[in-house]
Amino acid sequence: MDKDLSKLFKQAYNHPEGRLSDGVWRAIQVEQAKSLRIQSLSYSFLGILSLGGFVFMSFYLKNQFASSGFFQYVSLAFSDGNLFATYWKEYLLSLADSLPVASLGASFFLLSSMLISFKKAIHQYRSKLLAI
Amino acid sequence: MEDDVNLIKRYLKGEEDCLRVLIDRYTSSIYNFTVRFIGPIYTPDIVQEIFIKVWKNLKNFDEDRSQFKTWLFIIARNSITDYYRKKKTVPFSYLGEDEFKEEEIEDNSILPDAVYQKLQDKEMLDKVLNELPENYRTVLTLYYQEDMTFKEIGEVLNKPLNTVKSYHLRAIILLKKLCTKS
Repeated sequence: MDKDLSKLFKQAYNHPEGRLSDGVWRAIQVEQAKSLRIQSLSYSFLGILSLGGFVFMSFYLKNQFASSGFFQYVSLAFSDGNLFATYWKEYLLSLADSLPVASLGASFFLLSSMLISFKKAIHQYRSKLLAI
Repeated sequence: MEDDVNLIKRYLKGEEDCLRVLIDRYTSSIYNFTVRFIGPIYTPDIVQEIFIKVWKNLKNFDEDRSQFKTWLFIIARNSITDYYRKKKTVPFSYLGEDEFKEEEIEDNSILPDAVYQKLQDKEMLDKVLNELPENYRTVLTLYYQEDMTFKEIGEVLNKPLNTVKSYHLRAIILLKKLCTKS
């Protein structure tokens, strides 16, 4: 019976009119282009946002370095070599202590986010151009 | 003919044409399956939707869990369910196990000649199939037209093997009844 029914059902197979697979392929390409456009715009936006944040953070970081006395510690190492040689452990601890760690971390985060976003945006734009 | 998994791997590595091969290979199957539930007017749109979902989720396809064809039909079934849901009707409706009494399940190894003759008319077969519950229709379509196994059909319907076998038997009985009636 299986064989007979199989034959019977195969005779009643519904085939699409025209080349439906062409339509499907075109629909996927349209979706692909749309997705590329959204991704490239999102990455560009994120990149620009990170760039703005990084510029702001750089000024803030500069002020933080100035107020924490970091630059004074650095200049001390160059002005008095003997003092540095004698108290180098304490010196390094004080130097590390004066580092604005949170602001530095935030700056690195923004910098890497900006670089990754721009890299991805460029990649998406290139794919878009190649698709054309 | 290159197997589906290889084509997917090559597509994911950047060979766009491999997806085209898969689409050409399965468009008719998906169309034939979908048209049985949705009808010819909206089916092309649903078929496009199904393949867009396939394209979007191709990265998540796990060859160890199921065959590509089975996975494709699961997506098709879900898309049909979504379509029905939008239309606010219940697809692949739950079929109570008591719907058929055991004694009704007679020996169905032979389809009577008269019924077989009637079913040779495509329109008649389409009509009778359309009257079957969705799960039964799915089993018959996938088993006889797509040559899928009961186990694979079970994956598509998310039902155990024995339930699928039972659906198959009940579908044949119902097919016979409907044919005799008309």
